[in-house]
Amino acid sequence: MEADWRRIDIDAFDPESGRLTAADLVPPYPTIVTLQELQPRMNQLRSLATSGDSTGAVQLLTTDPPYSADAATKEQYFVSVLEALTQVRQADIGNMVKTLNDAQKDILVKYLYKGMSVPQGQKQGGILLAWLEKITQVSGVTPIVHYISDRRTV
Amino acid sequence: MSFSKSKDKSVVAVYKLVKAPIYSHCFSQDRSVLAITCETDCLVYKVSGNKPPVLFATLKDHDKTITAVDISVHGRIVTCSQDRNAYVWEPLSNGTYKPTLVLLRINRAATSVTWAPSGYKFAVGSSARVIAVCYYEHENNWWVSKHIKKPIKSTVNCLSWHDNGVLLAAGGTDGFMRVFSGFIKGLDSKESVAGSPWGQKFPFGSSIKEWYNGAYIHDVKWRSQMERIAYVAHDGTLNVVNSQSAVQSVNAPEGLPYRSLVWINDHEIICGGYSCHPVLFSEASEGWKFAKNLDKADNGKSSALTGVGNNNELEGDGEENATFGISALRKFKELDLKGKVSTDVQESAHENAIVELRPFAGTDGQVTQVSSCGLDGKIVIYTI
Amino acid sequence: MSQSLRPYLTAVRYSLEAALTLSNFSSQEVERHNRPEVEVPNTSAELLLQPMHISRNENEQVLIEPSVNSVRMSLMVKQADEIEQILVHKFTRFLEQRAEAFYILRRVPIPGYSISFLITNKHTESMKTGKLVDFIIEFMEEVDKEISEIKLFLNARARFVAEAYLDEFVY
Repeated sequence: MEADWRRIDIDAFDPESGRLTAADLVPPYPTIVTLQELQPRMNQLRSLATSGDSTGAVQLLTTDPPYSADAATKEQYFVSVLEALTQVRQADIGNMVKTLNDAQKDILVKYLYKGMSVPQGQKQGGILLAWLEKITQVSGVTPIVHYISDRRTV
Repeated sequence: MSFSKSKDKSVVAVYKLVKAPIYSHCFSQDRSVLAITCETDCLVYKVSGNKPPVLFATLKDHDKTITAVDISVHGRIVTCSQDRNAYVWEPLSNGTYKPTLVLLRINRAATSVTWAPSGYKFAVGSSARVIAVCYYEHENNWWVSKHIKKPIKSTVNCLSWHDNGVLLAAGGTDGFMRVFSGFIKGLDSKESVAGSPWGQKFPFGSSIKEWYNGAYIHDVKWRSQMERIAYVAHDGTLNVVNSQSAVQSVNAPEGLPYRSLVWINDHEIICGGYSCHPVLFSEASEGWKFAKNLDKADNGKSSALTGVGNNNELEGDGEENATFGISALRKFKELDLKGKVSTDVQESAHENAIVELRPFAGTDGQVTQVSSCGLDGKIVIYTI
Repeated sequence: MSQSLRPYLTAVRYSLEAALTLSNFSSQEVERHNRPEVEVPNTSAELLLQPMHISRNENEQVLIEPSVNSVRMSLMVKQADEIEQILVHKFTRFLEQRAEAFYILRRVPIPGYSISFLITNKHTESMKTGKLVDFIIEFMEEVDKEISEIKLFLNARARFVAEAYLDEFVY
């Protein structure tokens, strides 16, 4: 006998309730990006970051993120993104933000929030916050308002 | 009634009418009658010249918050509310209003209502994921409805009729802006939609076209002469589309989303929302862009921050002034120390978000004044 | 440590301003009801917006969960040792028991956080959002200072009491 029968979500069993799930909201992607396809990008990111070409690394990670990959793949890809972002020196962040266009800033904001939600990113909280501060100094609230309403997760 | 202290002379009148938020307002065609929503009542005022409006009727039939009010070209008031009902109020000769029943047949709250240009039917958007198009039935003296259901997946926030009275644009929280056909046999004629770029046949309830934005659509308005539709969404954008599906998008300069928009002329749109003042956008050859702010609060320094009454002290210091804006604590500390508060702000007329804008004066070709209602209980009239 | 305090507070301020764009939204599931969609367990997914985590380090974080008519903001206060953990717990419980007078406070914090605020469209209609955000930022600054002050007083009193008591045994 169901112990918690008072709290059964009766509407979930109703096919006509019209409730949308998170999966319904994600726009349909034509193809799913796999980890293999992302590997070359991840390697390139790593090499750009370690070689000191932070501008190139940031440009690469803010163009065309793998929206259509599955969660595990995104996690792995994110590790290299985090590396690239945290290796930039604080003094350079301001200039780098100025070179990004609006779409790139939106994508960067998504990565920053994602970074601050995972433990590895939280350890680097200071740098991620510095990035966010510079972005808001340049663009104000706009990238954050875009982030809140955008259903494509990075 | 007071006038704002803003530098630009765009505010013509400010009427603080009620202590509650005004979710919707409407002027009659000759601008002598103003109807506003105030919690569960609709208040009707007489407006004359520059004097503050005088209350002359209270329409009390709803038992939950009234979400929208509209006045037809014949002077009939329609109100819809969160109690799943709508009423059409007929003006009687002695100044009172008589309610007429509307059979909406929706099982959730109604969120918005607009009369068709002819004044013989109106559309109601609801949280029941349907749009109810209502027309009058003589035999029983009531308004009956026909539902538009597919493919709406979530609450409908806003509606707008095309001048031909058939095409209905709708936006909601599912992120889609759609154009439906609201053709009612007997009321509409095929000639009114002949030669339309949107299609040949318009059976009732069919979705003619849809555009996906992703964020909640707060307001949608037709520009019938140009066959274009403009809508504002929760991601702070103003978008304009035409029948070829091309979307032109522009971001709000202050970032915060807009709740309402009005077409000023074929190439200019005014929007108002959470930044508490209207913003004008105009169309140039490369697309739509920001033209000017009306009645913006003067922040003194940089415009990166938003909000009314914020005094920005970003640059330079890094130690004590980590708090932004005049926080209550700092205000009293300063009062204590210096004897006055160091803000130099000029407030905009609305203290809280603007919820609805309506054209007030001018012709359809060029609107010269707009009226706005906000969450602060004020009606403000702006000159463009 | 105040070096990262300012970007932390700026980030929270901007995120909160973006999230506090609320509208009066009647429930889609239950007729004639109007409830904060962020608090409803089985609400439809399109009504919830993307949550924002802002962390200064692993011990100080803010989680902002926006939705169409309400925002829930959870705050994790820095707790360096056991005494601070107890003090933060007592301090937040003191506030939470008076949550009705506080308006925007939530009686129970979200698991994993010290204190939570729930701001609904009713609050943003009657209070200015700029001031609400100012208040929360100030709260975040003050709570750290309060806890350190309480801890100092606690230690001072403990020392005084110990001295007074143990003086009896000193010859």
